[in-house]
Formats: sequence, structure tokens, C-alpha cells
Amino acid sequence: MLFDILEAFNDQMLLLLLIVFGIAFGAGGIPPMIERKRRRSIENQLPGLLESLSDAVGAGRGIQEAMLDQGRNTPGILGKLLTDTLESSHSSSFDAAMSSFAAKTRSAQVQRVTVLIDTAVEQDAPLQGILSDLSMDYERLNDLMNRRETELKARGILIIIFVCIGLPVLIAFIVGLFAPANKGYQISDFNQTFSLFFAAASAIAASVSGRMLGRMKDFLWWLPFWMSVSMGLYLGAVKIIGG
Amino acid sequence: MRLLEEKKEILYVIRTMDVLMSSGVGLEAAIHTIGTGGYGIISSDFSSLMEKSRSGKSRGLEFDVKGLMNKSESEGYRRLLNTMYSNLTQNTDLLETLRKQGKRMEDDRNEEVKKYIEELGGVPETLLSIGMIGPIILAIVGLIPQLMSGDLGAFMKLPPASTIQSVVNIGLVMTLFGMIMIGLKAHTKDPGL
Repeated sequence: MLFDILEAFNDQMLLLLLIVFGIAFGAGGIPPMIERKRRRSIENQLPGLLESLSDAVGAGRGIQEAMLDQGRNTPGILGKLLTDTLESSHSSSFDAAMSSFAAKTRSAQVQRVTVLIDTAVEQDAPLQGILSDLSMDYERLNDLMNRRETELKARGILIIIFVCIGLPVLIAFIVGLFAPANKGYQISDFNQTFSLFFAAASAIAASVSGRMLGRMKDFLWWLPFWMSVSMGLYLGAVKIIGG
Repeated sequence: MRLLEEKKEILYVIRTMDVLMSSGVGLEAAIHTIGTGGYGIISSDFSSLMEKSRSGKSRGLEFDVKGLMNKSESEGYRRLLNTMYSNLTQNTDLLETLRKQGKRMEDDRNEEVKKYIEELGGVPETLLSIGMIGPIILAIVGLIPQLMSGDLGAFMKLPPASTIQSVVNIGLVMTLFGMIMIGLKAHTKDPGL
């Protein structure tokens, strides 16, 4: 059946190429999504961890001891990474363990915080105040990032659905109903032009949607997929309705 | 691009300098720490400052900082460099100014994000208006030579099919251009989180 569908588009070289690239690039687009989910989960937990550390340091505990304790009490990936790193760092220094922890999280926020904590420890600075300030800073930053994500995500999806799916199907209906190929209408040039337009419009729509959410690079992986979807839907619907 | 990168990193740089300097680190050492990386374009700028100092080509840190002020594109970065310059030349209270700047910049960022979300509220509607109405009208225009053939053609004289095809093509290209221009708004007004 799959080959029959592909056979129907034998004269559409670009579409066939886009389908192949779309599947391949789509597979490449999944790891960045998983990575982002993991990183944001770590970053959203960071302010809470910093606040707990600030309280623990304020109560007179050492930073290393407080970190180990809070790592055990913090649910999720951040606590697990922190505990694992500190527990496996018996033969290395605290600085090295912190660097290793920061690298493992692959988060710029955690890496920045780690450098600052290291410097503050080296300089014997008042850690409680620094940790508390950092916690509030990153809390506000994450709130803003989450707000942007929630408020713009629906709009981004709306653009993609309308331009990549709704528009090609709608035009295919108009063309298929008013100028069906099985009644002798010569629409092959017209179809070629519009299928190329839908591919380009889908690429723009997906890019704009990604840019709105601040992750255009991640969305670039999905461009061939959306281009092939819109082209395929248009040409397929024209064939089904107009013959 | 530089403007966006500066806007994205400047608040973190100010906060880092605040923490470093309130921990007892000097200005030059703070510049060196930030120059080692992690703060994008500002790290590159600070790294080149330190490189210049080490190579002996520098006329003094204050002159290099002033040189960077001409290169900077965002208001916040220029203000930070100006504060650093004042501290180097007049020994002003850098920490207090950094805290005030950080607070002000954070308020600005919050405002910018709110504004960005509000402004982008209209983007889907505009994009869909141009991206959908344009092609629907052009599709009908493109089908006219087919629909008006035969007896119907006697009622109205139509331009040649090639002319109509050209009009449709130009219309579609303009629609794509319009969509790109609307999409650019999402890029140029990014608050840089």
C-alpha cells in the first residue's frame, strides 16, 4: 500500500525527495526535543535547590554537606545528578565534582551558577545571600521562559496547522471540485505551481513558529517534514477529489 | 545579531560581576573570569580585552573599555562598560551601580517579554490572513482560464492563459514575501531570554 501511494506521486520528484528527507530529518529532530525537555526540567528545579542550599548554609552547614543532603531530597533528574556526582567524587576535589555536575546537566544556567558558587567558595564570600539572590534571579528568569512557552506555543501550533495542513486541503478541494482532472481540465502546471508554493509557505510557517518560541534551530529539523506534508496533502487531495 | 546576543547575555554578566566583586574579586579578575567563556559575545569581547593587556599592546584597561563602548550595540552593555570606565578612572562605587543596573535591566527585560508576547499575539492572525486569503484568491484566478473555456468564454474576453499564470506566480511570490516580513517581527523583537 505504501508503494502504491508513492507510485501515485511518481511524477513529483521533489515531493518524493522531501518525503525521504522529511523522515530522516524528523528522526534527527527528536533528540533536540528530548534534550530540551530534560534541560528545562533541570532548570526549573534549580531555583528550589538554590533556595534550600541557602537555608542549609544559613543554618551553619557546609556547602558540600548541604549539597549532598539537598541532592538526596530533590526529586527528579537534578537531585539524582547532584547526588551521583558528589557521591562518586570521594577521590577528587569538590571543585572537580562541581564542574563534572555542571557538565553533566548540559545546562547553561547550572554551569553559570556552578562557576559563581565555586568563586564565592574560593573567595570565602557570604554564601547564604549569594545563593538566595541566585535563586530569586533564576526563579524570575524561568517564570518568564515558561510564560513565553505557554503563551506562544498554541499560536505556533495554530500557524503550522493552518498553513501546512488546512490551506493545502482547502485549495485542493476548490481545485478538485471546480476543475477535476478526470473531466479534462488541464491543471498539471497549476498543481505544480501551487504544490511548490505550499512547500515554501510551510517552511516559512514552521520557521516563524520556531522563532516565536525561541528555538528556530530545533524547528529547522522539521522543515522537510512539514514541506512534504503540505505538498503531499495538496497533490493527494487533488487526486482523490478530482481524479 | 550582535545586538540580540548582547541583550541576551548582559543581565547574566552584571549578576556575575556583582557576585564576583562582592566576593572580593577585583574588576580585572572579574573581566578575566567572564572572558573565559559562557557569556557569548560579551565573553569574546572581554577575552580580547585581556588578550590585548597580556600582549602589551594595550594603552590601559580604561582605554580598551572605552574602545568596546564604540563597538557595543545595546544600551545595557554600553551602560555597563561606562560604569566600568568610571570605576577605572574615578574609582566610583561599582558594586552599588551594578546592583541598580541589574535591577533596572531585569525590569526592562520583564517589560520586553510582556510586550513581545502581546505583539506576537497578532502575528498568527496576520500571517494566516495573508497566507490563506492570498492563495485562495490566486487559486480561483489561476482556474479562471479553465472554468471560462467553451461557451462561457463568449461572455467575457480573458487575457491569455500565460498572462494569468504569470499574475498567479507573482501573487504567490508576493504572498511568500509578505509571510517572511511578518515572520521577521518574531525575530527582530525577540527579548533574548
